[in-house]
Amino acid sequence: MEAALNAPPEWLERIVLLAIPPAARESVAGDLWEACQSPGQYAAEALRTVPFVILSQMRRNLNPPALMLQGMLIFLGMGGPATLLLLPLLMLRDAYRPISRPSPRRAIREAILLSSGAMVLLFLFMSIHPPFPVRGGVDSFTWLSLFLAALFLSPFLCLFRAGLIMQGDRRKPLTAGTLSKDALAQAYEGFLRGSFCRNVLEGVALAFAAISGFFFAWDALLVGLFVLAAIYLLLDSLPGMPAALDFVSLRAQYQRELARQEQLHRFLRWLWFAPVLVALHNRLAGPAAANSLIALLNCVAVAILCFLVAALNHEHGGRVQEEIGDLDRARESF
Amino acid sequence: MTDSLGQFEQIVLTAILALDDNAYGVTIHAKVEELSRPKKAARGAVYATLDRMEDKSLISSWLSEPTKERGGRSRRHYRIEKSGEKALRESAKTAQRLIETITQALGGVAWKPR
Repeated sequence: MEAALNAPPEWLERIVLLAIPPAARESVAGDLWEACQSPGQYAAEALRTVPFVILSQMRRNLNPPALMLQGMLIFLGMGGPATLLLLPLLMLRDAYRPISRPSPRRAIREAILLSSGAMVLLFLFMSIHPPFPVRGGVDSFTWLSLFLAALFLSPFLCLFRAGLIMQGDRRKPLTAGTLSKDALAQAYEGFLRGSFCRNVLEGVALAFAAISGFFFAWDALLVGLFVLAAIYLLLDSLPGMPAALDFVSLRAQYQRELARQEQLHRFLRWLWFAPVLVALHNRLAGPAAANSLIALLNCVAVAILCFLVAALNHEHGGRVQEEIGDLDRARESF
Repeated sequence: MTDSLGQFEQIVLTAILALDDNAYGVTIHAKVEELSRPKKAARGAVYATLDRMEDKSLISSWLSEPTKERGGRSRRHYRIEKSGEKALRESAKTAQRLIETITQALGGVAWKPR
């Protein structure tokens, strides 16, 4: 076994910590520290190790249906090159998903930054993209509208995210350091039952939405996606309650099922909002877009909706990751 | 039927089996290097393989208490699951059959890999 002869310099360790995806940070950073012999060896080992860890986390967090749906929406709104550029970035972002719930203060800061950033991007996009009427320079009225919209939207987005976080904070944590096997089995059984009911209800709702989408002349691809998702949810067989597993194996199964359900619902949240996003896109491509203000408002609505779905996924995902982490640290009590 | 294991997966699973209660990143990497001599094994490749095998339910993991010699960080311990044990047994049987076939082909001289 390699012995730790030296601790790595603090600044170097900070950089390495930033580079390691949160889900693997604790164990990988600890291993690198333990194997550290000199700052040079530590840096070289980190350089060799971290890319593998990032790729592995990208693979673990890969959600092909959600990514395809996001890709489709980006393709519809921004075209092929943007899709090719943004999809790897989305995969990388998923690898760096937080493993704890964010603080409301951070959420507020992010919401302000995101809404202002979105407005500036929208302005740039609208000044160069051919289907929009605002070309070759934007008048002062449009500029002013963008920044006023950013100012008006920020508090709303902040409130929404902070509300999501505070609602999550009210939930009772599953473990307080120790957990008996019976309590774990009971929690897992409750989770399976809840997931089953939720999936059946959501499957039925998706089927109804697909039927109504058929009558409201939705895009055929969207109706097909709703039907497929409904069939998957209604036929999805959750694993039965294992009879003879010990604490460690039961915990591993619970963690895997938590992660699987979270992946599934990340996709479903995007799917529920997809018809609205596609309708907004169609309006942008239609004659209504000749009016620059309508085009602008549509773009703003798309940005808000995308932010809302991303926030829902982010906050819910953070809580699930926190639960998985709590289970990781739980000791068996007898 | 269990999934067949790749060669590196076999080595990592064997390392976890051999280390028993002391199987975590640093010790697994050291054992893998020992088992795959003279080839070197990248630490990152060991982590990627551990993640993949955990997703396939061949192993399970948990975090220990933080320790001082790791800068106050926890170890991620690994353990083989029943399905992992079964897959490893099947790989060992295949390896055994290979050795027997090579021994026969060499005219009954007991063959040992160098």
